[in-house]
Amino acid sequence: MKERIHKDIVIIGAGMAGLTAALYCGRMNLDTLVLENGLVGGQIANAVAIENFPGFVSVSGGELIATVQKQAESFGAVIDEFDEIERVTLKATPKIIETQEKIYEADAVIIATGMNRRKLPLPEEKKFSGRGVHYCELCDGHAYDGKIIAVAGGGNAAVDAANFLTKYATKLYLIHRSELRADDFSQRRMRANDKITVMLQTDIKALRGDKKLEAVEVFDKTTGETKTLAVDGIFVNIGVEPNTKLFRDELTLSASGRIIAGEDCRTEIDGVFAAGDVREKEIRQLTTAASDGTTAALLAEKFLAKLKG
Amino acid sequence: MVKVYTVTGCPYCEKVKRYLASKDVDFVAYDIEVDAAARDECKRLTGMDYAVPVTTIDGEHFVIDYDKAALDELLCL
Repeated sequence: MKERIHKDIVIIGAGMAGLTAALYCGRMNLDTLVLENGLVGGQIANAVAIENFPGFVSVSGGELIATVQKQAESFGAVIDEFDEIERVTLKATPKIIETQEKIYEADAVIIATGMNRRKLPLPEEKKFSGRGVHYCELCDGHAYDGKIIAVAGGGNAAVDAANFLTKYATKLYLIHRSELRADDFSQRRMRANDKITVMLQTDIKALRGDKKLEAVEVFDKTTGETKTLAVDGIFVNIGVEPNTKLFRDELTLSASGRIIAGEDCRTEIDGVFAAGDVREKEIRQLTTAASDGTTAALLAEKFLAKLKG
Repeated sequence: MVKVYTVTGCPYCEKVKRYLASKDVDFVAYDIEVDAAARDECKRLTGMDYAVPVTTIDGEHFVIDYDKAALDELLCL
């Protein structure tokens, strides 16, 4: 029999939005629990250097998130990063969040589950995952000292990963299916790095190798040419997908799978808020995630005050 | 003794270490980027050049990555 525990508010997800909400909820003396199935910090836990968050010239994702976590905990928020959520019932009163070990009853819920990295959509991905195909530069980059690698993707995460990985690699191919989306600053830094060859309008068609990755086959859409690049590894940064599987039975999702909620972060269910990248919106940045976390926490507190009369 | 092979800055390595600590498991962590003997041992164990985090209790059975269910089974938690 699982233990039942009441909380004023449960925040699902401990990325920037969730931790900011926790910080505010803690300061407002709400009994606050944050549940995280993956990494505390979410997508930025892997970020090598963040240079567009006010107050920091350059800070690693790990350092920044550790500070925000410490702030949230100092105000009394509890973060559980080990007990995994199995199901939620948001339309009930109170709302139910069932984990592997406990059943939480919450008066309000903030969903801040963010996004997960998209996997390379090739049948060989599974065969080479961890054997040449990687998703974490900080974890696995060290293994490619003096080797040739590729990075797939064209956004900031991909370009920054490429810049970082040349710390190890002697040569690096940045391969992207269209044009770069990374900001000018990151692109300029990459263009100035003579270890990096940028291949745009190029599709990755296949991964080759016996026990581990030995080459990638690419198709240049401009020239119509197919090439085989000898590489020891590839780091994949081809975008993200919203982490909304738990909520799809109760909340309306957008075509891209995100939760529909306005700038006030209110969803269609009273007392349920969506904050950060998981919310359907045009701009998704670390700063807007912090902003959403703030908004959701302050409006959740108003909801709770009204609920308790 | 439980051993955890890691590298500095790896968030999944840190999560494994926090999980073991939360369960009061005594362990020794090795940074395979700086410890050549640990790197060789990790490679022998997994057959892979670069897998981290790797957790083992007997130098034979191991878990790669943060996989709670697998760690619980390996360490009888």
